[in-house]
Amino acid sequence: MGLAIETRNLVKKYKTRKGSSITVVDNVDLQVEPGEIFGFLGPNGAGKTTTIKILLGIIYQTSGDAFILGKEAGDIAVHRELSYLPEKPYYYEHMTGLEVMQFYASLFGMKDIAKCKSLLERVNLGNDMNRPISQYSKGMQQRVGLAQSLLNDPKLLFLDEPTGGLDPIAHIEIRDLILQFREEGKTVFISSHELSDVERICDRVAIINKGAVVAQGRLEELLVGGRIEVTANNCTTELADSLRDSHNLVSINHGRMIVDIPDSKNPNDLVGAIAKAGGEIVSVIPRRKRLEDFFLEAVSGDNIAKGRHQPSMLEATETEETDS
Amino acid sequence: MTAIWSIARTTLNEAIRRRVLLVILLIGILFLVIAPGLEALSPRQEITVLKSLTLGVIQLTSAVIAIVLTVYLIPNEIERRTIYTILSKPVLRWQFLVGKYLGAVLALGLMMALMTGALLLVFMIMQDTRDLATLGEMVRVPFMFFVQMSLLAAVAVFFSTFVSPIVNFFLAGGVYLVGTVFNSLFQVLSENKDINPLVKSAAGLVHAVIPNFQYFNVQNTAINPGQGIQSESLYYLQMTGYALFYIAALLAGAILIFDRREV
Ligand SMILES: Nc1ncnc2c1ncn2[C@@H]1O[C@H](COP(=O)(O)OP(=O)(O)O)[C@@H](O)[C@H]1O
Ligand SMILES: [Mg+2]
Repeated sequence: MGLAIETRNLVKKYKTRKGSSITVVDNVDLQVEPGEIFGFLGPNGAGKTTTIKILLGIIYQTSGDAFILGKEAGDIAVHRELSYLPEKPYYYEHMTGLEVMQFYASLFGMKDIAKCKSLLERVNLGNDMNRPISQYSKGMQQRVGLAQSLLNDPKLLFLDEPTGGLDPIAHIEIRDLILQFREEGKTVFISSHELSDVERICDRVAIINKGAVVAQGRLEELLVGGRIEVTANNCTTELADSLRDSHNLVSINHGRMIVDIPDSKNPNDLVGAIAKAGGEIVSVIPRRKRLEDFFLEAVSGDNIAKGRHQPSMLEATETEETDS
Repeated sequence: MTAIWSIARTTLNEAIRRRVLLVILLIGILFLVIAPGLEALSPRQEITVLKSLTLGVIQLTSAVIAIVLTVYLIPNEIERRTIYTILSKPVLRWQFLVGKYLGAVLALGLMMALMTGALLLVFMIMQDTRDLATLGEMVRVPFMFFVQMSLLAAVAVFFSTFVSPIVNFFLAGGVYLVGTVFNSLFQVLSENKDINPLVKSAAGLVHAVIPNFQYFNVQNTAINPGQGIQSESLYYLQMTGYALFYIAALLAGAILIFDRREV
């Protein structure tokens, strides 16, 4: 079976008022397999929403290709098989939860009230479905959003920042619902900057920064290379200096030394060396690499490395940074 | 088809809850009700003046409602991002636009029907009018206003696909003024021989392109029964066709622009 989503050299430029143009999506290549939960990560303004809108045919790319479920983006026939939960969605406030569902159902030509009700029950709004949306909390509105996104039993869901601005309980509710989608074999494309959510639910991720994809792959592949932290007392500065190299991070304060080494190294050698120099080992703690670490690595300082042929302003800041 | 209809119904439901529109409507109805009291005229003139006054109130109120209702029709959908969920369903942009327009026209019709109802009550209760011919006019004239306002709404929807609501307010309002009050002025200009040919052809162009809203103002024949139109029903039918032609052209233009537009 083909890819659920594929983009090739996708580019979106906007014209600025001064007549020049800014590249908001920069040569993005994405491959999303059917049935996976794909995390599309990036800081605010990275180009996540813009990419999703192109995939949905709401806006148009400047160049490059985008395909969803084997059809070119914007093909309206494919809209029967997908759904979209926009960032910070808004629903007609005069409607009740149930009326919102019926409205969206009617856009598919469906009149199935029982289905609308059962989906609302599924997102725990069974008791609130006859209250106007204006009385719903943010989390409830987001759950209505998820319920309406299931109306057509989509193969592919686009969720733009589905947990954005929600409290921790609502986070968990939404997360659990998304995990259920995977059980049902749906492909889910989630854009987010909430790394802990993504880390828990996504199979694969792409990290986008300033419009360009800086990393893409399975989470367990991207997160290889954890660290081990060794803490010891009674250490000398000489010892600390002798251990410091390009892989090891060493800090020392009043004889207490912390050495942070990659998990590819055997910590026994380090522990032996410390003991031999008279240091007392306090702890040896392995740390799995967090998505957060990876994200920060990926997002920081590679604007030029990724080949952005971009405004001189950006380059000027880069130069300043290297100077200092 | 279901999609267009349900977008229209939703638009109607939302429009009749908009406070600005309700306030304008209430002010209009208030004027209709107090109009008879404003009069200090001879009884013979009274009914003629009252007719023209109250019909004028309906026309003005409806025009304001039509414009206020439609300039925000599309921009609001984009600003609140409700359009995104709609367009991510199997709904084409033309269906969305036509649905929004129909909803606006329905809301307009409903509000104008309310005003017409108030007008009839004023004549029947306050003026004790039982004359069916007069009451008939009080329905036919507002109906032609409704056709006129539907056309005005299409003008505003057309503009709303490429200008901001505020600009649109003045543009659509301007088109309406030119199409009613100044229509004859532009015609005179375009036929005057002593005038700069450039101005002359510009006036001719304006006169030709801008729909003649004056056609729908049948109140003059209602107010002065002397100058009747030969076959009224035929005239109404023709004018409705004229409006539909313009509406179709304006919506087609709006769709062309909206289809390519980024939202
Ligand atoms: N219509 C537009 N015109 C100009 N710039 C835009 C437009 N839409 C988005 N942008 C810019 O594109 C960048 C990416 O925006 P967006 O895709 O919304 O980011 P994200 O969803 O990752 O936070 C931002 O810098 C934003 O200011
Ligand atoms: Mg976004």
